[in-house]
Formats: sequence, C-alpha cells, structure tokens
Amino acid sequence: MAEGWPKKRRLLGTKVKRLDGPDKATGRAKYSYDVNRPGMLHGVMLRCPHAHAKIKSIDTAAARKTPGFKALVLVLPAKDWIVVKAGGDALELRSVPNKKKKEKEEQRTVKVTPGVTILRKNKVVAVADLKPDDVVQVEVPDDAVGRELFFAGDEVAAVAADTEEHAEDALRAIKVEYEVLDHLVVEEEVIKNPKKKTTPGALEGNYDTTIKDATKGDVEAGFKEAEATVEGTYGVPVISHQCLETHGLVAEWDADGGLTVWASTQATVATAAALAGRFGLPPAKVKCVTHYMGGGFGSKFGPDVQGFAAADLARRAGAPVKIMLDREEEIIAAGNRPSATGTVKIGGKKDGTITAFAVDCYGSPGYTGGATINLNLMPYVYGDAVANMARSHKVVYTNAGVARAMRAPGHPQNCVLTEFAVDDLAAKLGIDPLVIRRKNLPPNNPKADKVSWAGRRHDIYTEQLDLAVKLSGWNEKWHPPGKGKPGAVRHGIGMALHTWGGFASGSTTPNECSVFISKDGTPTAETSTQDLGTAQRTVTAIVVAEVLGLMPTDVLVKLGESVYGFSSGSGGSTTCPSQAPAALLAAQAARDDLFKKVAPKVGADPKDLAVEAGKVVDAKNKKEWGWKEFCGRLGMDEAKGRGEWSLAISNEPENANISSGQVGGVQTAEVLVDSETGVVRVTHMVAVQDCGLVVNKLACESQVAGGVIMGLNYALFEENIFDKHTGRQVNPDMEFYKLGGLRDMPKITVHMQDMPERGVIGIGEPPTISTAAAIGNAVFNALGVRVPFLPLSPRRVLDALAKGGK
Amino acid sequence: MKNFTYHRPATVAAALPLLDAEWGKTELLAGGTDLLDRQKEYVSQPDKVVSLTGIGGAFKQIAAAGDAVTIGAGVKLADIAESKELAAFPALTGAAGEIAGPQIRNMGTLGGSLCQRNRCWYFRDEHVPCLLKGGKKCFALDGENEYHAVFTQGHPCVIVHPSTLAPPLIALGATAEVVGPKGTRTVPLEKLFQAPAKETQREHTLAPNEVLVAVKIPAKEPPRNASYEVKQRETSEWPLVQAAVAFRPFVKVARDVRVVLGHVAPTPLVSEAAAKALEGKEVTDATATAAGEAAAAGAKPLSGNGYKVALVKTVVKRAALLAAGARPYWEG
Repeated sequence: MAEGWPKKRRLLGTKVKRLDGPDKATGRAKYSYDVNRPGMLHGVMLRCPHAHAKIKSIDTAAARKTPGFKALVLVLPAKDWIVVKAGGDALELRSVPNKKKKEKEEQRTVKVTPGVTILRKNKVVAVADLKPDDVVQVEVPDDAVGRELFFAGDEVAAVAADTEEHAEDALRAIKVEYEVLDHLVVEEEVIKNPKKKTTPGALEGNYDTTIKDATKGDVEAGFKEAEATVEGTYGVPVISHQCLETHGLVAEWDADGGLTVWASTQATVATAAALAGRFGLPPAKVKCVTHYMGGGFGSKFGPDVQGFAAADLARRAGAPVKIMLDREEEIIAAGNRPSATGTVKIGGKKDGTITAFAVDCYGSPGYTGGATINLNLMPYVYGDAVANMARSHKVVYTNAGVARAMRAPGHPQNCVLTEFAVDDLAAKLGIDPLVIRRKNLPPNNPKADKVSWAGRRHDIYTEQLDLAVKLSGWNEKWHPPGKGKPGAVRHGIGMALHTWGGFASGSTTPNECSVFISKDGTPTAETSTQDLGTAQRTVTAIVVAEVLGLMPTDVLVKLGESVYGFSSGSGGSTTCPSQAPAALLAAQAARDDLFKKVAPKVGADPKDLAVEAGKVVDAKNKKEWGWKEFCGRLGMDEAKGRGEWSLAISNEPENANISSGQVGGVQTAEVLVDSETGVVRVTHMVAVQDCGLVVNKLACESQVAGGVIMGLNYALFEENIFDKHTGRQVNPDMEFYKLGGLRDMPKITVHMQDMPERGVIGIGEPPTISTAAAIGNAVFNALGVRVPFLPLSPRRVLDALAKGGK
Repeated sequence: MKNFTYHRPATVAAALPLLDAEWGKTELLAGGTDLLDRQKEYVSQPDKVVSLTGIGGAFKQIAAAGDAVTIGAGVKLADIAESKELAAFPALTGAAGEIAGPQIRNMGTLGGSLCQRNRCWYFRDEHVPCLLKGGKKCFALDGENEYHAVFTQGHPCVIVHPSTLAPPLIALGATAEVVGPKGTRTVPLEKLFQAPAKETQREHTLAPNEVLVAVKIPAKEPPRNASYEVKQRETSEWPLVQAAVAFRPFVKVARDVRVVLGHVAPTPLVSEAAAKALEGKEVTDATATAAGEAAAAGAKPLSGNGYKVALVKTVVKRAALLAAGARPYWEG
C-alpha cells in the first residue's frame, strides 16, 4: 500500500504565500519575454493582410539589403532532401519517402539563385559545400507562390535583424503580390451561403452539417409531459485568450549543434520535442526553458509557427533570435475560444423536474479545426438527471485564426446555453430557479466508491448549493425576474453550476519529480513542469516540505526546464494532480534514502525513524536529531528520491485517492443593471468549489478568483469583432477588445471545500466555467428580460430591453 | 515606425517655422498618447515630429485672471481634473477625471484632447483604405459601427469626435487661442471642429502651420454645469455617449442653456433643440427628460448603433439634473 498523503497535515491545506511572489512583484523574475541573449537578433513575422488570398509572387531582394538585416525565412513545410548531384548553380535532389505513409520518392532540380537557401545540419551551406547523399533542406522562394492563406494574419515569412526597428523595416521591404480571394468571416453569412467554399479541407462549403445528432430517451414524450416549455436562442462570441505575456520564444543554437529556447509555453517537454523533430535533432539536444510564464490558458502547447521561425532564423543567422508576438498578433493568430449559438428548447414541471431538453447549435473554430475543440452541447451538469434530450450541432468555418483549447474547452459555452434555458424555464414555471437546480442534480452512483465524486456528487452539489445560498444571501435577495425594487437601476441575482475533470495526466509517460537532500539539509526538487502562474512552484515546495518536516521556503524548486525529466503539458487542469503526487513520492523516497544512509551512522534502524517538524525522531529509542544535524551526517553523500505519476498509476488500487478527478462548483452573481444606459455592474460573486485535497488554500482561492475575473470579462466585455467586407478583425487591441480593470471587479467570495480523502484534483479550469452564465442569469433576474448574447454590453442590454425580450 | 526628424522648440514662435503648409508630413507631439500609437501602427508616417513639450510658461499653466480662466494647451489632463482654478466648472474637471486611466491623464494634454485624431477602427487599421486615408469609401457606413456616429448629417465619414473635454468647454462658452504665421486668432470652441471627409482634412479647423496654445473660459458668474457620460467599463474606457449641460439659474428657471453632445457625431454637437426644451423652465425630471428627447430627435443611427439614441436621451437628462444639483437617482 502506498504511504499516501500524511494523515496529519502541517502545511497541506493551509494558506502559503507563493514563493516567487516577491520576485514577480519586483520584476526580478525573468519571463521568456525578458530574456535577452548576447548578440541576440529580433525577429518579426510577415502576415497576410487579406482574409483569404493566394501568393502570386514574393520578392525578398530589397528586404535583404535593408540596414541590420540578418536572416529571412519563408513559412513553408519543412522537408528533407538527399543530394544526388551538386555543381555550379544546380542542385539535383531526391526526397526521403516516408514508407509508412506509402510516399513515393520525388526528384527535383533546383536552380540556386540568390534567393535560394540551402541548409545542412542546421547550417547554411553553398552548393560547393555539398556532396552526394548529404541531407539538406532547401528554401526556394517560388515554392511560396500559389500558397493559399486563410485568414488576415496567416504567416508568410519571418525576418531577423539587429534591432526590432530594423526587423520591421526589413519586413516591410518584402514585396508580396496577393491574389485576393472571397472570404467569409461572419457566421450567419456562412449559414446563408452553405456551399460557398473559402476554407481548406474536403468539405463542400464552410458549413459542416454532417455531425451526428445525439439523443437520449424520448424527447417528444418529454415535452408532452412538461407543464411549461420555453425556447430561446442564446449565444457566446469568439473570444481571445489575451495572455498578458504574448506567445513567442528566444532561440539559441550552441557550438555543438544543440538548441536552447526560452519559451512562453505550457509544455516545456513537448515544445522541446517538437523543435527536435522539426530540426532533426536528438531530443536530448534541445532544451526548453520556462521559468516564469505569463498565462497560456490552453493556447501555448508548442513552438507554433513563430517559434519554429525564430529557431530557423537563428540557425541561418548564427545568432540567437527572439520572436515575441505583439498584441495584435496575439489576438488574431495565437488561438481563441470558439463561439456557440444555440436554440434551446426545455420543458419541465412545477416541482423542478426537467422533462426534456433539445438544443440545435453551431459554432466557429476559425478556418479549420473541427467539432472536437468546439463544443459538445448537452444539458450541462444536469445531463445525467434529465431523461430525454437531443442535440444537433454544426460547425461554421470562417476565415479567422484557428481556435485552441481555452480554459475548460466547450464548458463555458455549454454552461451559458444550458443555464440560460434553465432560468427561462423557471420564469415560465413561476418558480425559483434554485428549485430546478436542486431537482436535476446528478445522482450519487451507489456502486461507486463512497469517497469518490461519482459516489457522492449529488451530496457535494447539494452542500455547494447550501453554501452558495448562504454566502450570497440568495433566499433574501432573489426575487422573480424583473420584480426587484423598481427604479432606473435594477438589482438581480443569478446562479450557475459547473463540472470538470482535473485528473492526473493521461500521458503514457508518467510525470516525474526528483528530490535531492544535501548534507546542509536543503532539499532540491527538480521537475520539468512549468508554473503558468498557477503557483505550481509553491505546490512542489509545500509537498516536499510537508514530507521532510520543513517549511516551503526551505525547499529549492528547480522547474520549467525540459531536461528535468518528463512532464506533460499543463492542460486539462492535470498539472497539480500529476505533479503533487510525483513530488510526494519523490520526497518520501528521498527521506527513506536519507534514513537508510544516515541511520547506521547514528546507531539507529531506518525503520524506527520518522520526520517531525524540523527534526528526525527515533520514537522507539527516544532519540531525536535536528534536521540539519541529521542531514549533516550524509557527509559526501546525498539522499535522493524520484517520483512519477500518471492517470494509469493513480488508477492502481493501492494508489487510490492520492489523486482523483471530477469536481463541481456553484457560482452566484449579484448585479446592478442601469436600465437607462444598459451598463451592467457585477457587485458580488460567490464561488463555491471543491478540488479534493487542497494543497495550498491561498493559491486555490486565487485560482478561483482569477477564474471568476476571466468569466466576468467573458460575460460583459470580450468579443472578437470582424468586418465582413475587409475580412479583418476590427478590434485586435486592448482598446475595443475590452477587458475589465480593477474598478470593474466585484467583491469575490471564494469558498474552497477541502476533501483530503479524495486526493489532489486540478483546479485551473473549473472556476471560470459558470461565471458568465451566473452573471447572464442575474441580468435576467434584474430586468425580467433575457439578454441572450454575450457580451452583455450596453448595446445588447438596451436592444433586448427595446424588444422587451421578444 | 517610419524614421523622422525630431524637433523640440522652446517657444511657440520657434515651433511655427518648423511646421508645414500641408497635412501629413509634420506632426505635433504633446503627450504622445495618440501620435505614438498612430506612428507605430503606420497610420501616420510623418517625416518630422515637432514636440511641444519643451514649451513652458503659460502653455503649461492654468491662470485665473479677471473674467476668465485660461488653460494652456500643454496642461495635463490630470491637472485639469484636480485644478482649484477650475472648481467652478465641474463639467470640465469631471470629464477630465474620467478620461482613460491615470497613465493617459498624466501624459495627455488639453491640446491633445482637442486635436487628437478619431478612434474609428477602420481609420486606425493601416490596411483599410478609408476616406481619411485617401480611400474611396467609409467602411463603417455598412460595416461594424456600434461606436460610430448617430448624427451623421450627411457626412461621408461617420467617425465620432473623440474629445471628452470639447463638449463641456463648448457648453461653458470657451474660446480657443490659435497661433499661426499671421499671428494669433481667437476661435469660439465649437468652430474649432469640423467633420473631415478626406485625407487632407482633420477633425479640427486648424491650419497645418497653426498651433492651439490655450483655451479661455469665461468665469464671470459661472453657469451651473455638469457633464455625464456612459461608459461600458469603469477602467480605461471611451464614453459611448456624453452630454455637457450649462445654464444660469434665474429665480427657479434655467436661462442661457447650452447642451453639447459628445461621441455621437463627427464633431462635438451643440443641441439647440435640447437647450430650447430647458430654456426658461425649471430643471425637473420632466423637463430634463424632454430635453433628452429633443436632443435625440434628429438622430439617424447606423445599422449597429441604434442603442446610442437611447443613451443620448439618458445622458442629456442626467447631465441636466446634475447641473441643477439634483441627487443622482441612478446611484441608488
């Protein structure tokens, strides 16, 4: 049986300030954006200004002559060739066919003009340097001709120069002629013209209606059974991740042909692996460093086009190159959350039972991507309790940047569509929506472990609802929609529920952590995982300190370098449930190794030794040693331990409840809506959240508050707006792509439920899911009129009021 | 941005010879919160930038003398917001304090606020050839126009004038002092603005070789005055719609009423109709509401900004009530 989490918790579950807080607050912490290497060049990306176009010609000669110019890369697929013959200005090549893909060998002859670049072993070479059978990559400008570009912002080329300004000048000296093609950037236009094709792929138009409907039970019978039925169309727009630190990296090649990148990434190991693959390097020769990270939210799992370009420019220029996107690029080309528009029909009874739920919806992931990243719309949270439901879903492709995972992919959209419908049904039934929520909670599974989510989810939600009702004053403050105190400014209160997984990573390679204890008593924890701002660095320190009887500040945590063993990308709220157990096992193994090595020197049996706060105790023989004194007996040796963790390991019976998954959450929003201006102010949010064993209560509360803030922006402010004529986003900035500031933020009451018996569960994603739905419902409660589309701007609120909810 | 030569004269007189007779090649720099942005976005690509930051004295001072308060064009927005000399003009100080955020208010100037370029997202996009950049059409007319003009009055370009200080200053009867090659001229502030329609026009009527040096507000028996604006956010936000109201109380009624709308037309817009609705009447909920209705009467919203008509009614009503000293009913 695994030793598991300590029964007596000294640090776990307490409020621990993040170790790097002062460094971040003072600017001592160096983010990837802050990294400046000796001799470093600055790179910038050339992007297509048209929403859909083909490259007719490209001329880089003038760019190459601009002051400070160092290197240029065309964005083309990377391909290895084998030299057949090289001489003069001619190069005969054959391809390296991938036999698994049944590729045939290709031949090509390249005339080596000044614009052609030949690379061998990641170095620029001349024809004269080549001999038969050399493996080369060849960049021929004409290869870019005919390339189709699918959104305004699609990458065409990159240049590096000695300064940012010179790089921009060089970029502007590249002459590209485009054949401008028809585009579609507005979803409704796609639906009106379903056969019009402006995006890639085999689909006939941009409108994918081939997704199979999903049904459960008998929907028609369910609606017949209903005492009231409402139908509404609700929607959420495409929004951007808006990472404060934009995407990008600094790339530096070393003399041995190795590559180091300082990247803003949620996945150091995967980023290093992708670069190794792209440049034909053994994985050990690429190192990805991410000591501090300024937000990713699901949009930073690899090098991206600009990361490959930076490394490519660096190998050509023979100098480090930095490319960090600017704000406009960040918004148009670095990922977004797909939209969703759905017509929801819901029927129910006065006792709150939802008898049927049907949704017909669509959303857009940009110019490619598909349904999986998009949505999986079904009655959210209540799905297991509702007997009859149906869903049809369509995907709308537009000439816009491609969606990426964004903090709980699919869930916030799903939550808005479901919870808006629930409150509209409650209004029609003339009941408090809380009645519907309580009535349709997922039932406990009597066959499941009583400790687990499945075994007690009904109980957890019920407790969460009780807490949310109490903390928000729901029973005193709720009034029927539109029936609050009359006046220009109306009060409203709303609620929404959410759920999320948060298991350990399902990666086949387990997450690793190593702990070393030196003779001065300092434990060092090493892991390649990255701290996205989630306080993972502090989590690791807390776990190690708990096991070794120390304080978190006593632990040296080295993280965010791909060379410190394997770690999976920080997605799906998997990092803490993967890394905390790995740190636990590593610390326990290091402690045992310490006992084994020192016990003989102090005349003790390792089996009798235990750690207490600041000391090692032999209870049997009534002896004890101060921690440093005990470690000092290591002499020239060091104690070490390694831990590894994955979903599969967590599923082994002996490891039960070290980590697990599935959480719920309840949020309430209180708003004041000025019915004459349409301005919505959120005054109080309550967020009740479970996440199993709370490692750091302070960081958990911070995560939840951060999730609420993000959700509030989704509710009130954010939207990618495109012009249908130009095909360009009109607000790729922080002026009209709106995010709230401090004065827009409400009082946020966070209640963390600590359930140590369930082990560690991820907390990153869940707390942002239900915020927007709760706020939307609060606005409905205030006005008695549904504002069906986010963001709830003065325009949308006043338009809805003018229509009177019709 | 494109390279340029930089000049920092110490006096207005020294600045004048540095200016061009045409727009586009030379730009004046004050706080830089607008110009730098435009240069970095390649929307403005001057060959020469003439900074006014080296000009001291009256250019950077607020001076109360005799029957007027004179505000130098180089005075910072933050200083206007906190000025004791301007305490009688809450319409102005309040509006100044609401502009953007502290960083902008600490850099931005009065002259910059009045002479800045518009915020239309088509104008600000280098790749969109709109009317004001030598193009053939206004993209906002049948494009995304939720923040654009609702009083377009036939203008081919439907920007809104971005200055939040212009409406209160016009309501207060301010005049602008403009210095050019031919000397100094005084312009009633509402005449400082125009609706631009092409690349060679600006949102103001200054000649390319003129400098706005000061704004003068008559201070003898200041009117009651207030400005009210609706903003989607509390933080770093442009008003959606703004109204400034000024009047003189006479027994119980309002006289010499001035109502000026902001962010609804290519220029700050004096609403004679709204003023007439209040003139000679007691400012009450009913008359303030009627003034709002009157102000909105001629509005012709575009496809996406009908909501701004409702906002015009609200801001005029609220500004009038605030000017009359009523308790703000919208603050609970």
